[in-house]
Amino acid sequence: MDQLEKVIIRMSNVSKRYGKMDALSGLTLDVHENEFVFVTGPSGAGKSTMIKLLYLGETATEGEILVDGINLARITRRQIPQLRRKIGVIFQDFKLIPTRTVYQNVALVLEAAGLRPKEMHPLVMSALEWVGIGDRVDEFPPVLSGGEKQRVAVARAMVGNPKIVLADEPTGSLDPDSAARIFMLLQIAHRAGATVVIATHDQQMISSHGGRVVRLEKGCMTPQNQGGRPSC
Amino acid sequence: MLMFAVRRALADMASHKFLHTVSIVTIALSVFIVSAFALFFNNATDFLDAWRKGVRVIAYVGGPVKDDQRAFLSETIAKLEGVASVKFISREDAFNDLKEKIGDQSSLLDGLDKNPLPDAYEITLTDAYRELTDIEKLVKKVAALPGVEDVEYAQKWLLRFNGMYNLFKATGMVLASVFFIATLLIIANTIRLIMYSRREEIEIARIIGADEKFIKYPLFIEAVVQGGIGGVTGILMLCLAFAAFVPNFAPETGFAFFEMRFIPMRFGIAIVLCSMLIGWVGCYLSIRKFLTY
Repeated sequence: MDQLEKVIIRMSNVSKRYGKMDALSGLTLDVHENEFVFVTGPSGAGKSTMIKLLYLGETATEGEILVDGINLARITRRQIPQLRRKIGVIFQDFKLIPTRTVYQNVALVLEAAGLRPKEMHPLVMSALEWVGIGDRVDEFPPVLSGGEKQRVAVARAMVGNPKIVLADEPTGSLDPDSAARIFMLLQIAHRAGATVVIATHDQQMISSHGGRVVRLEKGCMTPQNQGGRPSC
Repeated sequence: MLMFAVRRALADMASHKFLHTVSIVTIALSVFIVSAFALFFNNATDFLDAWRKGVRVIAYVGGPVKDDQRAFLSETIAKLEGVASVKFISREDAFNDLKEKIGDQSSLLDGLDKNPLPDAYEITLTDAYRELTDIEKLVKKVAALPGVEDVEYAQKWLLRFNGMYNLFKATGMVLASVFFIATLLIIANTIRLIMYSRREEIEIARIIGADEKFIKYPLFIEAVVQGGIGGVTGILMLCLAFAAFVPNFAPETGFAFFEMRFIPMRFGIAIVLCSMLIGWVGCYLSIRKFLTY
């Protein structure tokens, strides 16, 4: 790894506790700009918690997290939406709004960023066509298949041209063909310049790509990590 | 941002029709009841004023009045505070007047040996001097004058009406406060239910970078629109009830001197603005508890 590349995510000795349970313990990790990182490990290893900490779905109990230079421990309420607009998030359960059309689900990101409908339209259509669902813009999520829903979610994550894409088990509930297609879209996003962090236990996906892998077990980084130090 | 918020608020209202309809109907009923009390006070105040204008104080003089005494009493009473005019009514005039009033049965009076009626002074009050306490002060002064044996005024009725008016006023204020709080809670609860039903959407909006204004503005607009529609509906309901019942009221009760009026336009506008404000406050209370980043 070229040390001159900018560190876009820095986690220093980060811990997250839920009551008496440690979800993450002393995690230290740097992710560079335009890097493609897999975070893997068994269920309960802390992968989802780590992703949540990065988009401030949760706050760390201890340690310091910097995302694109912003210290998440010192972020103000007003800065949170600005940080989140730099990040596209993809979930295993898609998190689409069932009462809004495919178009409206994707457009929500741009509406929240304050764009006008005229400005939004070409961007939304381009994102939906990119994921291959441009002909179903007026459909509602409940009528789509799992793979289609996830493509809409990818379009929503990418439409705002984010610096960072976080994906939490993005292929976890998809058939192999749909999973391959989603993974391909994430690779394209990476090639377009985004930093991609994927939490997954899909070993086939990891081996087919060969990117950097961070392994977690019981909230700790394991010694065989490439680039990370063991945390416990 | 505002146009977008308005569009979203209207779309949300359309998609949560039942919830909003129940809320608007409840607000309308609350506004109807509060406005009905306001209508009553307004008219009760007018009625009392109109009636007080007709109130006269009658001072009866014991025994026949000599000319010099009559002039003295007239002048003295006329100089008292609150007196607009004084008219002397001799016992003969009063007797003749009585005869005229009882008409065919005036022959009953023929059997009397002498005129039983006393000489009297009819005192008309100034417009500014019609409160019960003022009238009582004047009555005391008149009763203390030499030769005056008794003073009469519509004391019993004034006391009763004043008491009733004050009772209604207190009840109305309590009810208005209760309905104010009820409306506030209803709107707060509706907004909370809407937020609860949309919690996933709100959560997603946050994750994708929506700021607080983006989430809050449509909810505030919904609450204010709810308050506004509820307020206007309540006033319209009162207007219909007024138009249906009031024309049949006055002739039967014989209050010809008094005409009932609807609440003034500015008061109606104030009620609607107040319901909109309640909507805003209700939404604020809900959001404060629900939305935390």
